[in-house]
Amino acid sequence: MRILIVEDDAALSSFIKKGLEAEHHAVDVANEGNQGRSMAMELDYDLVVLDLNLPGVDGLSVLKSLRQRKANLPVMILTARSRVEDRVQCLDSGADDYLVKPFSFLELSARALLRRSHLPSESVLMVRDLCLDRVQRKVERSGRSIELTTKEFALLEYLMRNAGRRLTRAMIIEHVWNLTFDSTTNVVDVYINYLRRKVDDGFSPALIHTVRGVGYEMSPEGASA
Amino acid sequence: MLAGSHSFSKPSHGPDVLGELLHSLSQPLTGLRCSLELSLDETAEQRHESVAVALHQTEQVIGMVQLMREYLDAEQAEPGAFSTALEPVIRGLVEDLSSIAAVRDVEVRLEGTCAATLPVRAGRLRLALQYLITTVIEAQPAGGRVKVVLTKEPAGTLVRVQSGRNSFLPERGATDIPATSASTLDRVRQAIASRVFENAGASLEFVEEDDTAIGFILRIPRQTAVGRPY
Repeated sequence: MRILIVEDDAALSSFIKKGLEAEHHAVDVANEGNQGRSMAMELDYDLVVLDLNLPGVDGLSVLKSLRQRKANLPVMILTARSRVEDRVQCLDSGADDYLVKPFSFLELSARALLRRSHLPSESVLMVRDLCLDRVQRKVERSGRSIELTTKEFALLEYLMRNAGRRLTRAMIIEHVWNLTFDSTTNVVDVYINYLRRKVDDGFSPALIHTVRGVGYEMSPEGASA
Repeated sequence: MLAGSHSFSKPSHGPDVLGELLHSLSQPLTGLRCSLELSLDETAEQRHESVAVALHQTEQVIGMVQLMREYLDAEQAEPGAFSTALEPVIRGLVEDLSSIAAVRDVEVRLEGTCAATLPVRAGRLRLALQYLITTVIEAQPAGGRVKVVLTKEPAGTLVRVQSGRNSFLPERGATDIPATSASTLDRVRQAIASRVFENAGASLEFVEEDDTAIGFILRIPRQTAVGRPY
């Protein structure tokens, strides 16, 4: 993907650029609103990551200009404003996504990837010999049926949808349980263990991997993350 | 002070000052968090653990900043025209929390129905209820039970969240926010929930008999519109 970051904090934009480049994206940075708007208008980007609080032209004005000229360009807003009203205003103004500071780089990276295409959601997800049918709510590995509870199914679906990506415990609990993350809960680790017993035990290679200090990853390569 | 190098604006007060501070804090915290996440991949084995610990502690600070924001948001809520049905929110939440409680070997059950609505956004209502029910779940020993009971009464709707041994006699046990068994963060969460319900015209009583027999009673008057819309 070719990504434009419009962010006036030089340290933060450099961290994001470095991280996205490590994931093989081409990244440009603009440090103020006018520059960001010009670059987004003139060049061909797959995604614009846009801070709201910018010197010169503010992020919301940049977003409105972009929507007039490039209606289909995905724009992800970065902001320190967390209220629902702020989120609604951004989405009403044409943002595709909204990330509140202090966000996790992994969350930004995962969401950026989701913006890569507008393909409809696949009904069947495959990672090697593991197959999850979202419509029939069935899971099979190597043709063998696996029974999962509702939460196990949702967790596996989230891991498979993000296969090859590191997912933090906070991302997992917020997406699968729809709850605010509490760092003292070990529910994610427990449910990952339940899943491993059903999905990996007795099969090779293991697909669910612990990423030390971060969380978990479903690796299609079967290699340790 | 020499003129020309500074611009002055009307000084902010109270919650506004805190809001601005939290806003300013979020920028360096984002940089710190992203930097530590990226460093985990690059750090040699012997330093990996310390970077992971630093990241964990940064996330704890971020959690506190988010709580402070929620508290300010609850304090500064402006009137709005929202109406959220209580039962679907509480039903979905209990289902999600059940799987978390099960990990601690605690059973959570919902009983009763109600048609109450509250003038509060669904997300904020869910968060307030999550903070309260989670506190009760976390106070339970393995094998404990938490019951969420919805009751229709002449004056409105009663939501009781009670643990196994809690007899729920408000005249005996009702208190303000419990101070003995809850951590500081829990107390802030409970204060946020209190504020959300108070703004919605409902009233919340905390009940604490001992460390595990805690719970709360939420009273929603038949006409929540008498409360400040939220």
